[in-house]
Amino acid sequence: MELLTYTFVQYAFLGGIAMAFLAGLLGPFVVQSKQAIASDMFAHVALAGIGGALLAGVSPWWGALPTLIVVSTLLWWLLDTDSYSPDALAMFFLSGGLALALAFVHIARDTTFAFEQYLFGSIVTLTTPDLIAILIATVCVAGAIWSLWYPLIGATQSPSYRIPFSRTPQLVLLLYFWILAIVVWIGIKTIGGLLIGALLVIPVLTVRAWARSFKQVLWYAVSVSVSAVIGGLFLALTIDLPPSSLIIGTLIALFCIQAIARSVISR
Amino acid sequence: MNNPSITVTNITKAVAGRRLLDDVSFAIEKQSLVSLIGPNGAGKSTLVHIMLGLDTHYTGTVSITPGERITYIPQLATIDRHQLPLSVQEYIAIGTTPLYSGIRHDVDMVRALDHVGLTASTLEQPCASLSGGERQRVAIARALLAEPTILVLDEPLAAVDYASRDGLYTLIRHLQQDHAMTVLLVSHDIESVLPLSDRVLCLNKTLHTDCHPTAFTATDGHHPTAVHHHC
Repeated sequence: MELLTYTFVQYAFLGGIAMAFLAGLLGPFVVQSKQAIASDMFAHVALAGIGGALLAGVSPWWGALPTLIVVSTLLWWLLDTDSYSPDALAMFFLSGGLALALAFVHIARDTTFAFEQYLFGSIVTLTTPDLIAILIATVCVAGAIWSLWYPLIGATQSPSYRIPFSRTPQLVLLLYFWILAIVVWIGIKTIGGLLIGALLVIPVLTVRAWARSFKQVLWYAVSVSVSAVIGGLFLALTIDLPPSSLIIGTLIALFCIQAIARSVISR
Repeated sequence: MNNPSITVTNITKAVAGRRLLDDVSFAIEKQSLVSLIGPNGAGKSTLVHIMLGLDTHYTGTVSITPGERITYIPQLATIDRHQLPLSVQEYIAIGTTPLYSGIRHDVDMVRALDHVGLTASTLEQPCASLSGGERQRVAIARALLAEPTILVLDEPLAAVDYASRDGLYTLIRHLQQDHAMTVLLVSHDIESVLPLSDRVLCLNKTLHTDCHPTAFTATDGHHPTAVHHHC
């Protein structure tokens, strides 16, 4: 436990817990809206932003944020026109983002850069400015979700539940996409772009059978995701495996345990 | 008509060369209960969406008297087993809290549930655990919280068991009278809506026919048929 005295380990836990808290808060909305692939799509779009930032000579991680906000707005507008199916749009942006990222990185190949840290996370390399940005974003996103709690539930529900005769749900849906974009932005720095979707979705799948209300799903999901991050990071202190894979492995283990428990109880 | 809540004039809608609605015109008097009936595919829901402003691709006009507050209860969907749990309290709250409005307090929700014959304990129950009739009553309670002057119900008995149907229609009629609302009831169940309605509008894809309830006559002891054969 001497490792816990190191600043980078403390930062990893703080950043990871903030990430897990946000993922638990937002995950139920992601699952409910049946757009779980959106998180993967945003992660690939973020890579294009990272590549563009490399070319421009600015911080790659910060370069991803404006790209995500622009693309999330574009995605919302395209969905609102109802001209394309959500899954087709997701694949469009996912593959387009990756293609652009590869092109940018190739052009900037004289710059020392490793995409892997954004694909699989680099939670143990968080700096003080990174952690401050993550904590501020966490407070802002949590505040937005708290103050727009019911409109967000309504906007991500199936159409039969929505307020059907107002523009309000459409604007709330835009805010939801921005929130998801910010959470993915935090995620690519901590758990990685390819795994942030798992942190959003698996806790919700783990708890849904045990909850009687949306609020219960949310708080149970937060508990599971925070537990998985803490558990995965502790394991990473002793096992020579990437922290991200241990976090997701812990999540999967928790899912399997609850599935077995549910099966035993239902007999 | 002297005091209409809604006036629909020359509504025509076509999609890919096929007419869904053809020159539909009518007016709904304030504080009346009007049923819009027709077979499946007649354009009833299309017309309702146009009246509510959800569909803007049509010709003609829809005017709603200024000051009217319109609330729509869509056809009850079957339970989506992939949907996350939602308590009755949450379901009611998301229907009454647009971005600019305050959160409804539980006491208002309890009062609304009481209006539809449900108890306060229903608030904590998951929506998925309710029967079709109970879910429809909760939907009506949610609509009442918006304090509408016009209530539009689309196939309110679609997912309701047979035993609950009479009770629901009676509830709708009482609520319409007690709250002095204008009610537009969309249904294909002619038998049930006829006794309730001040006026019945018959719709098929291309024609509109205005049917007065007394124009219906029973034939050979079977269910009533319209005098105008378009229905």
